[in-house]
Amino acid sequence: MKAAIVGGSGYVGGELLRLLVRHPEVEVAQVTSDSMAGKPVGRAHPNLRKATDLAFVPHSALRPADVTFLATPHGESLARVPGLLDEGGIVVDLSADFRLHDTAAYLQYYHREHPRPDLLAKSVYGLPELHREALRAAQLIAVPGCIATASILALRPLVAARLLDSRPIVVDAKTGSSASGQEPGPAGTHAERSGAMRAYAAAGHRHTAEIEQEVGVPVALSCHAVEAVRGVLATGHAFVLRSMDDKELWRTYRAAYGAEPFVRIVHETDGIHREPEPKILSGTNYCEVGFASDPHAGRVVALAALDNLMKGAAGNAVQCLNVRAGFPETTALDFLGLHPI
Amino acid sequence: MTHCPECDAKVERNDKVLGEVFPCPDCGTELEVFGTSPFAVQPAPKEAEDWGE
Repeated sequence: MKAAIVGGSGYVGGELLRLLVRHPEVEVAQVTSDSMAGKPVGRAHPNLRKATDLAFVPHSALRPADVTFLATPHGESLARVPGLLDEGGIVVDLSADFRLHDTAAYLQYYHREHPRPDLLAKSVYGLPELHREALRAAQLIAVPGCIATASILALRPLVAARLLDSRPIVVDAKTGSSASGQEPGPAGTHAERSGAMRAYAAAGHRHTAEIEQEVGVPVALSCHAVEAVRGVLATGHAFVLRSMDDKELWRTYRAAYGAEPFVRIVHETDGIHREPEPKILSGTNYCEVGFASDPHAGRVVALAALDNLMKGAAGNAVQCLNVRAGFPETTALDFLGLHPI
Repeated sequence: MTHCPECDAKVERNDKVLGEVFPCPDCGTELEVFGTSPFAVQPAPKEAEDWGE
């Protein structure tokens, strides 16, 4: 299967390359970047030196491929996707342009009318744990946002099991600096970022709409930047109809994820790493979910950790391709991470 | 086979013997075999940990 990556010089593009150059069923035919055109991919992604002979080509040189990954900024996929779909290939879009099926929610969070609502209806939200069967036939796959992925995987089992009352679920998410991409900005300078514990979106974060779409209940999301390069930790505070013990929560999460290859349920009674922690997931496609019962406050704390560039973006995109193409779902995604790191 | 008293995971006897301590495969709780016929487990005694609070 021939693949193209559009916008390959960014962090997500680099992770797509790292995974796909070792994917036994995929040949990366092209990787585009206007800013890096003509330069070897190792110039942008030094971890890929000598792993491939690929060099960046300008966006205008893009040719049809069996699958095209769009790792471009939000808004740019809107212009590219219709033509790519007409060419007949699979499109895996890592931007937010086709994630929301509700045009009103898109207008609210992205401040513009969606120009192709007909395509919103055709896109499949790329979370295999929820939409595996739909992905098998999808031509347009919209890969979820990183904070949304963690939040959805943490909360969905509680909602599906009808354990929660009608109050909104509060989600407190922490994220590393790579989630904001490679483009320099004043908030990303070392002086501003080093040591930060900053609420950069106390309310109104765009991923709120994705989480509500997939979980099906109101969500109150606050997002914080912390001192890390990779990683998302989402902590959900879900208010329950009745108190429940760990056994019931274990059964609930096992029913949801017991057979999932990339979701690990973590709620251990001994050791240092008792609950999900993003640090040890760096470079892996795993999402760890955990929980704690809090009868005193009438809540369950639902946790999820992942690498924002992997299960939160490129790794999940490759998992979606594996599902869509009928490859073993774990192909090219078997890295177990590092410890210590 | 029995179940972990903490998380309800299935726990197989295999060749475990009376008094053996082993971790639950899901929640990691240290379990102690206190019966073999039928196979039965209970949380193993442990020292409280100080996390520096």
